[in-house]
Amino acid sequence: MKKYILMPLLAVFALTAAAQDFDTDPTLELENAEKEVKFTVGARMMADAAAYHSEFTPLQSGASITDARIRTSMTYKDWYFYADFGFGGGKFSQKNIFLQYSHLDNNDNTHAVKVGYYNDPAGSMARNTSLGSYHFISRPGSSYALGEGRELGITYKFNSDRFMAYQGVFTENQYNKIDAGFNGITVAGRYLFRPISDDFQTLHLGVSARFAHLGGGEVYNNVLKKSLHLGQALETLVDEDEQFVSADLDWANNVVNVGAEALYQNDKFFARGEFFYKHVTKKRDSYSLYIDAQNNIDGWGDIEWWENANKLKNNNFIGGYVEAGVQLLGNGYKYNKQEGLLGGLDGKSLEIVARYNYTGLNNLTDGEYYNAGRGHFYANGYMEDWPGTGATSVGGGDIHSVTLGLNYAFNRYVLCMVDYTWHKLDKPFLPNDKNFHVAQARVQFTF
Amino acid sequence: MFKHLVKVGLLSAVVLATFTSCEEEQQFTNEKLDAKRVEVQVLNDELAKVRDYVPLYAVIAHRGSTFWAPEETEASWRWAREMGADYLESDVQCTKDGIVLANHDENLKRTTNIENVFSENVPTSRVDFYMSLGFSRADAEAQYGRDMAAFRPFYTLSYYYAELLMLDAGSWFNESSLEQARPTFKATENGRFENGKIVYSNGLYISAIQDQIAYAQGKRLIRDANGRRVLTYKIKDEYKGMTLEQIYNAIKAKGEYNAKYMDFIEYDFANAYEADPEDTGNRPGIYVEFKESWLNPGNMEQRVYDVLAEQGWNIITNDPGDQPFYKNGKVNVGNTRGRVILQTFSFDALRRANDVFKGRIPMCYLLWISEPAYATDIAYDTPTGYAAFIKWAQDNGAHIIGPAISGAPNNYPEMNAPWQAYMIRRAGMINHPYSFDSWAQMCKYMGYYNYGWETEFDDLLRLEIPATPYCTSTYPSSVPVYMDGFFTNRTEMSLRYMIENGFRGNPALPNPFHAGQKYDNSQANVTVPDAAATLERLGY
Repeated sequence: MKKYILMPLLAVFALTAAAQDFDTDPTLELENAEKEVKFTVGARMMADAAAYHSEFTPLQSGASITDARIRTSMTYKDWYFYADFGFGGGKFSQKNIFLQYSHLDNNDNTHAVKVGYYNDPAGSMARNTSLGSYHFISRPGSSYALGEGRELGITYKFNSDRFMAYQGVFTENQYNKIDAGFNGITVAGRYLFRPISDDFQTLHLGVSARFAHLGGGEVYNNVLKKSLHLGQALETLVDEDEQFVSADLDWANNVVNVGAEALYQNDKFFARGEFFYKHVTKKRDSYSLYIDAQNNIDGWGDIEWWENANKLKNNNFIGGYVEAGVQLLGNGYKYNKQEGLLGGLDGKSLEIVARYNYTGLNNLTDGEYYNAGRGHFYANGYMEDWPGTGATSVGGGDIHSVTLGLNYAFNRYVLCMVDYTWHKLDKPFLPNDKNFHVAQARVQFTF
Repeated sequence: MFKHLVKVGLLSAVVLATFTSCEEEQQFTNEKLDAKRVEVQVLNDELAKVRDYVPLYAVIAHRGSTFWAPEETEASWRWAREMGADYLESDVQCTKDGIVLANHDENLKRTTNIENVFSENVPTSRVDFYMSLGFSRADAEAQYGRDMAAFRPFYTLSYYYAELLMLDAGSWFNESSLEQARPTFKATENGRFENGKIVYSNGLYISAIQDQIAYAQGKRLIRDANGRRVLTYKIKDEYKGMTLEQIYNAIKAKGEYNAKYMDFIEYDFANAYEADPEDTGNRPGIYVEFKESWLNPGNMEQRVYDVLAEQGWNIITNDPGDQPFYKNGKVNVGNTRGRVILQTFSFDALRRANDVFKGRIPMCYLLWISEPAYATDIAYDTPTGYAAFIKWAQDNGAHIIGPAISGAPNNYPEMNAPWQAYMIRRAGMINHPYSFDSWAQMCKYMGYYNYGWETEFDDLLRLEIPATPYCTSTYPSSVPVYMDGFFTNRTEMSLRYMIENGFRGNPALPNPFHAGQKYDNSQANVTVPDAAATLERLGY
């Protein structure tokens, strides 16, 4: 009888164990087989040290507790509840918190419905992979600048040997903390096909898509002004300054993300990469703003003049990365089929890794002039006093980054990582910042 | 395991050692260091040649003076000339009939009694004014209607110059500067329309740029027995025999600028001035600022070019050749290639001035900052931002940077900190900060407070000033100097500072733009007249 109780439980654990931000099994488990309940507690700590070399704008080298977390989970029959909370940087932060119902059908396909706050399935493969299982100290910059993170919503996931379809609906802000407007709505999905999938190797190919209608913003001159911030740090968590690669897009309205991904893994080697495309549409109540500008004798002519001086343009951005790793010793790379993700190092291991990343946040309009003293583009190729710049360029920065890394896991709990990254930047506002060198190391403890 | 630990530790140590052995890195954004390493565009040879038209350590009489007399009037400019200023500074605006005014504000409420003379509507005497020129009442009334459509109350562009001569540009000064007030600054009679013609006021007037040039040439206004200036006007030949409507349409058809400028009247400036009996021989230059580009006509720069040419002051059309800046203790800048300097904050005006003057007349690009940044302000006052503005200035034909300085009474934002002065010097451009009102400001920006102390910008800014017989010290001084001349409201104080500290009347000043060369201004005036006594001597 006990067997009949335990077997389904184990099957459910197998489904749910990876449905969380950590992919290592928690060490502390409490199980009440009679009540079919299992409770786990785990924790993670990352301490990073980083040294930066820049040509002009300094970064703050040093060391930091970049992540400290406590995680808990509870499993009851087909139900799984998970929550983890961060204390990194000396601040409490809400990480994942969700409830999932899973069902294994007669064809060994799984169906899972998940509700709560967790990673957007189309947020990127990199962002869906736990940082604790990542083979680099930071995820690729493009996944931060053009991908998405956690959102509050509900998803349905279908998973078979060959396919995964993972889609859902989300809101913009988990606490509805918006000054004005509403909490936005997002529809997102990630779809994988695995032409190779066996015990020795996996190849998955995937696409993702996401549509977000921004709802929240601030009241600006009696008009709802919605904005979108895109940005990344220099692939480091010690100094998370985003000034080098970032863009603030005023009057953003809808955001469309389209992604493509590929992952290959065998026992001693992995390679994976993603491509990101982001399209941002803009919308503005021009008439109200124009009327509001008519407040003195130097006011505007007609609305057409005003609109020409304050043009709106939709923006397109692209980015992507390729990563590879070779395991020199250890138990081999593992693929997590339930999540469609590469696992972390498991037990004593040594690997070398390399990555190339490109993030393009420069969306320039031909013929426009930029002056770093004004921080503006000008449509006609030179600076003008009035009525406005008329420019539509976005100069968030284009960056190419190459990383080499060495990771050594003493055991399944303790991991040391060393990364070196060279960044090549092209940002109009920072013409003197071209090359950055980042050397960083991490000690990570997970249980 | 221990072996692996050692390996990882060693690897980390090597990486960190590699990084820490790199060149000394900045721990924070340091403007002083960045000012030295940021790329700065250097003035090309052609612009540098024009830069050298400008005398070093020039004393620029800001609006004549805002302290001693009503700004930009006959009183302030005659005073500045007689005090020995190198330049008479002004701002240009435009009247409805296209006269280039030398007047700071586009709105005349502050510096005239316009609110007492005219209502907030088109002057009621306008129809009579048109009729006094020979137009019919119906034609005049129809034009009055068109005038109303483009009317901005109290803005220069809404009034004919003859109408503006009905105003008193001096009485406001007496009300706002009680200690410097003088009865003679106030007109005893306002202007009016009487007996079919405009009767001017009899005090200080809103100036035309022709007036300013005349004062620089040692002249004054011709006045009648009642103290009113003599300036006749008539319809330009090209518009004679036309109705106002035809004139309006003809001007509109030119398309050069908005038809609100009814540029059909010419004034007889050639017969408006006489030799000033109080002239003592100084011949300063003029330093003209283009103002609000969005208010003034789009061909304002061409208008200034034309007026300068008409007056013989445009060195492109009338090259005076090599002339000394000083002769026999008198200012002679007005007779040199440096006789006119143009200046502006405006992006549009700078660019258009470059189109017209092509960098062949010295031009100053003025800097200002505010929060939030105004349309023409520098928004990022960092070495990178400053370098971008320097490049913009040079690319548009500027030879001089004019940064704001801090200090009472204006309390402007500081844009001429040592690192900023250093960048201007690196660019090979002249630094003309504005505006000086106190001895303390002169000490601050001319190095007195750093006397003897080493500074991080000494390589370019420290000057060895030989002592002259007029200096307060008999020893040479070694000071970092954060300017090459400046705008001042206190010409008397500025000249005295320059003379007492060896910057004037010195045959062997170092030339910061030509290493090893000396700059000789020993012929400059080395005595400074009493400011108040000079006003009295001039009849105020």
